[in-house]
Amino acid sequence: MDLADRIESFRQTLEEWLRGLYHGMISHPAYEKIEKEAEDAEDAFMLACFPDAFGIPSPVSYYTAELLPYLEDEFESWERRLWDRGTYLERKGQQYHF
Amino acid sequence: MEPFVFFGGKGGVGKTTVSCAYGLKCARDGHRTLVVSTDPAHSVTDVFDQSFDDSPRSVEGIDGLDAMQIDPEDEVTRHLDEIRQNLSEQVSASMVNEINRQLEMAHGTPGAYESALFDRFVDVMRDADDYDRVVFDTAPSGSTLRLLGLPDLLEGWIDRLMYKRRTSIDLFEKAAVGNNEPRRVMDGDPVLRRLEERKEFFEFAGSALHDDAAFFLVLNPDELSLNETRRSIDDLREKGFAVRGLVANKLTPSPDPDENGRGARYLRERVETEEERLETIRSEFEPPLVAEIGWRSAEVKGDLLDDVAAELDVETAVEPPTHV
Repeated sequence: MDLADRIESFRQTLEEWLRGLYHGMISHPAYEKIEKEAEDAEDAFMLACFPDAFGIPSPVSYYTAELLPYLEDEFESWERRLWDRGTYLERKGQQYHF
Repeated sequence: MEPFVFFGGKGGVGKTTVSCAYGLKCARDGHRTLVVSTDPAHSVTDVFDQSFDDSPRSVEGIDGLDAMQIDPEDEVTRHLDEIRQNLSEQVSASMVNEINRQLEMAHGTPGAYESALFDRFVDVMRDADDYDRVVFDTAPSGSTLRLLGLPDLLEGWIDRLMYKRRTSIDLFEKAAVGNNEPRRVMDGDPVLRRLEERKEFFEFAGSALHDDAAFFLVLNPDELSLNETRRSIDDLREKGFAVRGLVANKLTPSPDPDENGRGARYLRERVETEEERLETIRSEFEPPLVAEIGWRSAEVKGDLLDDVAAELDVETAVEPPTHV
């Protein structure tokens, strides 16, 4: 293996590490943040659809009930998120990596 | 006049009789007519002496006249069963119970009956191709007015829901990095599709009610009925529907002039107060009084219905619908 090859393989390793580091420190948390934001938006949607889950009667639940068969995943994760969410502040705090 | 005609008014004023009479009049004038009642008390059955259910059935002895009765309770059950069917096809067994509970809750809400009625109403209007005219005998004022206000309300609300759903899907798509599958995809999202279908349904309902429907209010010559009618007219106008005419029903017959017993004096007095109230209607109410129908001593059915129909000064000519 001559020098040029060794430099090349070193550069490749370095590039991989740097990309991993960038992904772990910068981009991954950012995507996580977006995902959390998406979940929040979904929660808002679910709440608008089924306020009666919280005892708020909604004249439109009759229509949103039609969506229930298609909302299995959403419904399950909605409930899960509602259970382990301490406060809204905490949830928003999780979205920031200091 | 418009293909869809609604008769509304306070409870017990004779909406069913008037609607049936008008339906009969249209049928006699050669228009294929359907009378739709939303009154679970099955009064159309009594008027025509024949039982009806929630699909149109021809009225015996009268050519070109069909009738049907919508029972909100049945509609709610049907809706529920339909969703349950869907649920068992789509959802894993472990979640079915969870979601079922939510479903039951949704159908127990106060608006369920009204929504069910409204759905059926609009379905009938959609599939009215076979008929030149559809006459709706509506439930007593309050709930009907709310029904008619639904499309505008619901359209806006569905819009907001769709916006929320799109936002979250969009974010999920953005959050999927590299080769990761996004948790939700915009293309072919069944929830958005359902919402879209609903939206079209409400849009149709809104435009059909605004452009293809005429409204009449039935009232009795008494204070309560007058007040309620006044409110209904205002309400309807606020929602953008104009009342075409008023039908005064159950007017007291006046006795012969030579009679002077207690009964005759009583009748004469009543006729006088009623005449005053009719005068109020003529002068203060904007929609014209299109019919004055006297009290019948017997239930209005059979030949009597023809008499009543003759007293109805409401045109029967049909304009084709603009939204179908």
